Amino acid sequence: MSDELGRALDRISRVRGMRGSMWVSAEDGIPVAQLLMEGVSGKAVAALAASLVRKISGTAGAVGAGRVRFVQMEAAGGTLLAALAPPDLLVVALADSRVNIGLARIEMMRAAAAVAP
Amino acid sequence: MSLVNFTAREITCKIVYYGPGRSGKTTNLQYVYSQVPADRKGRMVSLATQTDRTLFFDFLPLDLGTISGFATKFQLYTVPGQVYYNATRKLVLQGADGVVFVADSQLRQLDENIESLQNLQANILEQGVDARTLPMVLQFNKQDLPEELILSPQELDEALNFRNLQTFPADALHGVGVFETLKGIAAEVLRRLSQGGGGARRI
Amino acid sequence: MSTTVVEPWAEHPLLRYVAESSARLVVVMTPAGQVLAQHGFARAVDLMAASALGAAIMAAAGALAQQLGERSFGALFHAGERHGIHLASCATPRGPLIVLTVFGKETSIGLVGLFYDEFAAELRRAAPAGQLREPVLAADFEADLNRSLTSLFHG
Repeated sequence: MSDELGRALDRISRVRGMRGSMWVSAEDGIPVAQLLMEGVSGKAVAALAASLVRKISGTAGAVGAGRVRFVQMEAAGGTLLAALAPPDLLVVALADSRVNIGLARIEMMRAAAAVAP
Repeated sequence: MSLVNFTAREITCKIVYYGPGRSGKTTNLQYVYSQVPADRKGRMVSLATQTDRTLFFDFLPLDLGTISGFATKFQLYTVPGQVYYNATRKLVLQGADGVVFVADSQLRQLDENIESLQNLQANILEQGVDARTLPMVLQFNKQDLPEELILSPQELDEALNFRNLQTFPADALHGVGVFETLKGIAAEVLRRLSQGGGGARRI
Repeated sequence: MSTTVVEPWAEHPLLRYVAESSARLVVVMTPAGQVLAQHGFARAVDLMAASALGAAIMAAAGALAQQLGERSFGALFHAGERHGIHLASCATPRGPLIVLTVFGKETSIGLVGLFYDEFAAELRRAAPAGQLREPVLAADFEADLNRSLTSLFHG
């Protein structure tokens, strides 16, 4: 299992503009596996991304939008992406502005689907 | 080390009941718990084995009321008495402001009392504390047992009381001497605070 | 929710930690289980029991770490159905401190751990060296003590 998670991170990290990717325990917000550039705090990204996904999921539920599958947050300095891998994992990626979001999303959704029970 | 909150005018002190296995340390706390009104005590926590022997400690928080304008709280702990639980005894003893040594008055327990007292001295010393400055009292428990089975308070005093500490004969099961012992150690600990000390002196 | 501090320097870091981590209960204590600051406890006596147990867990884990040749185990985390607890120690100029954090489903162990690191760093910066030791009680405290204990046992 851990090999499989590592290979998925490797594929995501090959997308241009990626600064790091990780598997995160959705409920706990702690990193399960990570492949990050130096200077990126895995602990902080995991905790905050899991919190963000939970809040967005709550909002989606409240407006009747159904289950959230993918979250994309663009900021001035970069982009945070998260794909939900039920029942309890998230694939999280951190990228700079050059990233090809479409390609990143495909790799992340593929990784999430691969670990589905 | 006792904690003093000058803003809220509160004092909190830690008292540890020490002594050999089955000398009546937990019984002391249980009696105190049974006698104190609900608004002056917290829940008594007992970390015990299935056979009700203390495994880690018993804990009872008490609100003593206002003393010299300070709301005064005492945290009473017991240690497990059995010889092989020394590691946990050391942990509970950490930061104690005062010790009640509960001796078992039975003649056949004299060696256990001496061994436990020596163990207490060793554990205090290991924490870098001068045992002579740690407030302490002795309780000679089980004085209700038949005379032929026990040592008198005078005999126990000669055998155990090298520091000329205050002693209290007791029958903790029925509450005799429990209150007096607690009062004795409370006075010793608070006396140190009135003298500008906050517990035992570090060596 | 109430916050009380025995030593005022701990108040600002504690309030910030509670706000950021969304913790329900937080206790900052000495390794002997004496409370320096707390947030969220309604009854002082419940707080004392929680502190005594938290300090005991840390003491036992520390002793076990020593036996295994570890300096310490860092933070401890226990997950329950509705609550989780995070226990960690922190070296400060005031001496070693222990922080017990109780949190619910509105936050996560990841967030608590993340903000705990910042909290520990703030405690280290804010803590004064040593402790104030001066006569606290009046010399004639014994009359008060006698009255208090008598009311405690016969009240």
